[in-house]
Amino acid sequence: MVNDNSKIKKLYAIASSNRKYIFTLPLKNIIKIGKRNYEVKLKHDEKFGTYILFKNRKYPVEIIRSRQNKYEILFNDISYVFTIETPFSYKRMKVLNKQKGKKEKEIIKAPMPGKIVDVLAREGSQVLVGEPIIILEAMKMQNEIQSPVNGIALKINAKPGTIVNKDDVLVEIKVEA
Amino acid sequence: MGIKRILIANRGEIAVRIMKTARRMGIETVAIKTAVEPSALYLSYADFVYDNTDDDSEIPVFLNIDRIIEIALKTGADALHPGYGFLAENAYFAQKCLDNNIEFIGPSPDSIYKIGNKTIARKIALANNIPMATGSQGNIANEEEAVKIAEKIGYPVIIKAASGGGGRGMRIVRKPEDIEKMFIIASKEAEKAFNDPSVFIEKYIENPKHIEFQIIGDKKGNIIHLGERECSIQRKHQKLLEEAPSCALDEKLREEMGNVAVKLVKAAGYYSAGTVEFLLDSDKNYYFMEMNTRIQVEHPVTEEITGIDLIEQQIRVANGEELQLKQEDIKINGWAIECRINAEDVQAGFAPNPGKIEKIYFPDDDYVRVDTGVIAGSVIVPNYDSMIAKLIVKGKDRKEAIKHCKLALDKVWIKGTKTTLPFFRMLVRHPKFTGGTFTTSFIEKELTQYFYNSEYEEMLAAWFATKLFIEENLSENSINLNFNESREIDPWLLNKRISQI
Repeated sequence: MVNDNSKIKKLYAIASSNRKYIFTLPLKNIIKIGKRNYEVKLKHDEKFGTYILFKNRKYPVEIIRSRQNKYEILFNDISYVFTIETPFSYKRMKVLNKQKGKKEKEIIKAPMPGKIVDVLAREGSQVLVGEPIIILEAMKMQNEIQSPVNGIALKINAKPGTIVNKDDVLVEIKVEA
Repeated sequence: MGIKRILIANRGEIAVRIMKTARRMGIETVAIKTAVEPSALYLSYADFVYDNTDDDSEIPVFLNIDRIIEIALKTGADALHPGYGFLAENAYFAQKCLDNNIEFIGPSPDSIYKIGNKTIARKIALANNIPMATGSQGNIANEEEAVKIAEKIGYPVIIKAASGGGGRGMRIVRKPEDIEKMFIIASKEAEKAFNDPSVFIEKYIENPKHIEFQIIGDKKGNIIHLGERECSIQRKHQKLLEEAPSCALDEKLREEMGNVAVKLVKAAGYYSAGTVEFLLDSDKNYYFMEMNTRIQVEHPVTEEITGIDLIEQQIRVANGEELQLKQEDIKINGWAIECRINAEDVQAGFAPNPGKIEKIYFPDDDYVRVDTGVIAGSVIVPNYDSMIAKLIVKGKDRKEAIKHCKLALDKVWIKGTKTTLPFFRMLVRHPKFTGGTFTTSFIEKELTQYFYNSEYEEMLAAWFATKLFIEENLSENSINLNFNESREIDPWLLNKRISQI
């Protein structure tokens, strides 16, 4: 798609919080806050590992995941997910988002690896927001996994006594108003 | 000193903590090396290391009574410290130690059984007029009885495991239609966790503060208390931050509750260190909840404000020495706060986040104490709890302690795993925490955000992500020019790359 990279004048970093940060190219080591410019430096040394130096403070930074133009960054112990868009791909993304419309199916994934202790909903039964559906045991604790929506439990993959990995699909729910 | 060599039947920071005191007292220590953590830090603090790496049993050695006794006998240990968790509150284990002429550094097996069992503890408390929430007389036999008793007490009620602790086997029930289901869940959970399915029911005290008193007693019946700790900052009954003293108590209430704690412990014929836990409601009524018959994770905050080494006291009592401290000698000096820095993802509901600690630094200011069992290169394994370190800070009063805590939290540097640090950075800035009006339901009911970041941190992260994108896609030596094509790159490879940018 991008054959001549030098034509790209700016990039958008869209955070999962929906905030948009615009950076002009070539990327400078400067961040503007209010009317003042501050220098930002990416550094790496044996003692601290990789970090960003900003306003005389070091912030630890790491890449957790990266796929296509999507980046999950751990910055000062908090993770952020960004998609980086060129002006062209950004426009296209906005058009696509408009066409997508409302979500019909909610997929519940295991938030952590663990063991299914109990399944409280049945396939075809109605579930309400906040209703516990599955009890998952992980690291000493039993965790209730609740339905995030009102709807009908379409498919339940979780079975009591089985071990699940993080992000395994446990339940699919048909969303109802 | 009769005790010459102590086997530490534990790991992690508490093993280190115990060995530091033992060394200062001139007592030798033995630590157990396991296959799960063969290069753990605690091993380097021991005088002798018992190699148990060839143990292929599925239960961790720290839970294996016969094996621990065998190791104690083989290594010539004349005493054993159980730490917390694992076998620390197992009466049968304590008895086994004594049967083999190994001094158990803790209370007698009899008091562990009696007061550690919540149903029996309730009976002792009742007989001594200790204030308690209304509840069932004993354990609940079945669902029908649960329904009846809950009806009688009035909702909401809480179902608790008789042998429980740490929030397991505990369920709050607000509606009659849930009681049968919750009784079964709690009972099952209790059976699994404590080998004892018995549960009892109590009136649930809404929005209380968790106040606990540290006590220490000797084998001659001398017992004193070392003031209180407040542990209301908890999530799913797991404590996250503790402080001492508590801003909810004045001198009069402290004395009253302290005396009640001592009275209860005396009635049970208790010795060694222990903790009497109370709930304190908004009208300052207090209710005895349970007693813990072990050294607790949060013991350092009491040590910091009283200047007393609790591990040393435990060892001296086990050695048969008389308590040298009198109640009137105990002076509370300043304020201490402990943050439990765990390998957890606060953005994903505090999900455990085990991994290798790449870098780890703590501030060295004199108001900071760090109790930890890890160093750079250590691995937080999924087999045990997720604790990385306890950050303990001190100040002359609560305000200064919070200020110091805020400063210290910004100086802690941990790379390699997500931690609870962002949670504490939020907490020390929250008006409800600084104001001291928080209760045990604070985290689950009142918090909308579980972490703190300053306004420009997301922007800096965005700058970093953009820099990576340019490096990978738009620069001359890009690893991939067409970024619409799907690909996966190992994050560590990327981290290596950026170090060369």
